[in-house]
Amino acid sequence: MPNRRTFLAGLSAAVLSPTASWAAAGAPDFLSGARTAGGSYVLAGLRGTGEVAFTLDLPGRGHAAAAHPVRPLAVAFARRPGTFAIVLDCASGDVIARLEAPEGRHFYGHGVFSAEGDIFYATEHDYEAGQGVISVWNTSDFTRRDEFPSGGVGPHDIALMPSGHRLVIANGGIETHPDSGRAKLNIPTMRPNLSYFGIDGGRVETVELEGALHKNSIRHLAVRSDGLVAFAMQWQGDGSVEPPLLGLHKAGAQPQLLQAAPEDQRRMMGYAGSVSISSDGTLAAISSPLGGLAHVYELGTGKMVAEYEASDICGLGPVKGGFFFTTGTGASGRIGGSDVTDAATSRLSWDNHLVAIPKPG
Amino acid sequence: MLRRFLILFTLLGPFAAAAGEHADRIAAVLDRHILPGFTRFAAEAEVLKDAAEADCAPRSPALRAAYHAAFDAWLGVSHLRFGPTEAEDRAFALAFWPDTKGFTPKSLGSLIAAEDPVVNDPAGFDHVSIAARGFFALEFMLYDPGFADQGRPAYRCALIRAIARDIDANADAILDDWQTRYADLLRNPGKGESPYRSEEEAVQELFKALLAGLQFTSDTRLGRPLGTFDRPRPNRAEAHRSGRPLRDVAMSLEALDALAGLLAQGHPATTAALRAAFDEARSLAAGLDDPTFAGVANPQGRLRVEILQQSIDRIRALSGAELGPFLGVAAGFNALDGD
Repeated sequence: MPNRRTFLAGLSAAVLSPTASWAAAGAPDFLSGARTAGGSYVLAGLRGTGEVAFTLDLPGRGHAAAAHPVRPLAVAFARRPGTFAIVLDCASGDVIARLEAPEGRHFYGHGVFSAEGDIFYATEHDYEAGQGVISVWNTSDFTRRDEFPSGGVGPHDIALMPSGHRLVIANGGIETHPDSGRAKLNIPTMRPNLSYFGIDGGRVETVELEGALHKNSIRHLAVRSDGLVAFAMQWQGDGSVEPPLLGLHKAGAQPQLLQAAPEDQRRMMGYAGSVSISSDGTLAAISSPLGGLAHVYELGTGKMVAEYEASDICGLGPVKGGFFFTTGTGASGRIGGSDVTDAATSRLSWDNHLVAIPKPG
Repeated sequence: MLRRFLILFTLLGPFAAAAGEHADRIAAVLDRHILPGFTRFAAEAEVLKDAAEADCAPRSPALRAAYHAAFDAWLGVSHLRFGPTEAEDRAFALAFWPDTKGFTPKSLGSLIAAEDPVVNDPAGFDHVSIAARGFFALEFMLYDPGFADQGRPAYRCALIRAIARDIDANADAILDDWQTRYADLLRNPGKGESPYRSEEEAVQELFKALLAGLQFTSDTRLGRPLGTFDRPRPNRAEAHRSGRPLRDVAMSLEALDALAGLLAQGHPATTAALRAAFDEARSLAAGLDDPTFAGVANPQGRLRVEILQQSIDRIRALSGAELGPFLGVAAGFNALDGD
């Protein structure tokens, strides 16, 4: 077994290779975890047409991934409460680094690169303290350089604001402990929030929902080019309540909560698994694998304008004129435009999220 | 204008239960499990309230016996976490556990230190922090030496009576809600105000209650005291102050066994497999001889608790692999376990 030092030295050389771009990995538009028909797990590159650009083996079920803004590098997380992430060169297929959570910590499954790609941020759980942490990594050699509190409990998704100077974090509010698997330990007292931090870790703003919504876990994020943040929620309270599952926020303002007519809202089963904003910035979509449903909202009016029924739908990402979606049954296709395109099917069970690969320029 | 699209159809498995059977299944669970369970709980909670009125001394044998009997009855229904138990946080106000941040002793300590008169106001006590209400608050007051001499005895007595009275009121409210409202909603899916659109959805709610109950017993009731091999946590066991950790596991298995049996009706093979799996878990629990899971601190004791946990995980796996598809409520890759 190579020792860690030589292993890391090998990595830096690979990371610093100056020429490779996402085109070298088959020009995918999205990354997604998946389970194969044989029961193994992969990270896949997907094009907005439904073609699979590449698949790379993962050691276990993944959650989300993060895509480097320029180079064909992906950080793939083990599923919560996983304690490692692997960095993959999507062009060569090589595992070039492994991120380990320190003792007493685990990852939540989401992370994001800085605008230049030199720093990587990951949501992390200090599980004895029951507090969220953002860990900060150098991407030259994927060593841990710093950390700062996430501003809440159970940080899940994290996104970079368009300025490149701020991060937005969905503190889901739910406390777990690896001793109890994925069991939720603090539902009656949970207090999720949306927090903004400078990329240096200084807190800028924290937004909480009104008290009656304290069981609405803020978990996933999409950010528009003008800084509008769309957040998707998962209701942990009384099932007879139909809470909003999509929120919008602009820095310094009050959050705006959107919901469909009660009958349509109820069919989402209190659960939004992913959120996306369309490339032209006019639409937002949320998905509910529990309801087998996606809802598309017009951001200008705040109204739900289209509903799509698809078994186990979850992954959503922006494409021209709407959204690309994936399902746990292997389907993918486009929604949100004037028509539904033919859905492609594959033998891969797509996992919860589609991560958009940054487009040059 | 709202546009609607159907992209794909969901296919049910070939062995799915016929829809007509679901109505019988829902009725059986209501009439033989849910309604009798909450009726018994309300009755035991009343005995507890009366026992506290009669003698509020923490060491009173009658009071302690009533505490255990009411707690046992709660475990018969504590997995039925939908509808009436969730309104107004009633279930959390009965059983605020786990308490990872120690809110229960903190909240009780503040009430005692301030001699908060809310204990003399039955209507007001339901606005007290849920951490200072229910069985775990009462357990601290009856069994924790740290609370035996805090504040004045008269105030402690009033607090114990207030907690017992509140448990009783809460149990009555849940039972009343089931009897006058929610039983009809569950029995008549797709009609009126029912939150269930179909019999499948109503059965799915019951199936989810079974899975969530099994998960809570395995991951939380056993997982928390087990901790890790290097760091076992016997003091994190549920209701360890009153010596109930193993009893809670055994009682919850009884209740979940009853629910599973009613759900599996009509499928003899699944019924038999579940019966055998529950019997195994039950006999492991009965043979454990470690009522508080103190044994998790040594390797042999730990192994025996882990074996019990694995037997419950086998029931979970069996329920997911056989019972769910039979009921036609098998969940998808993402829907099964979201994140």
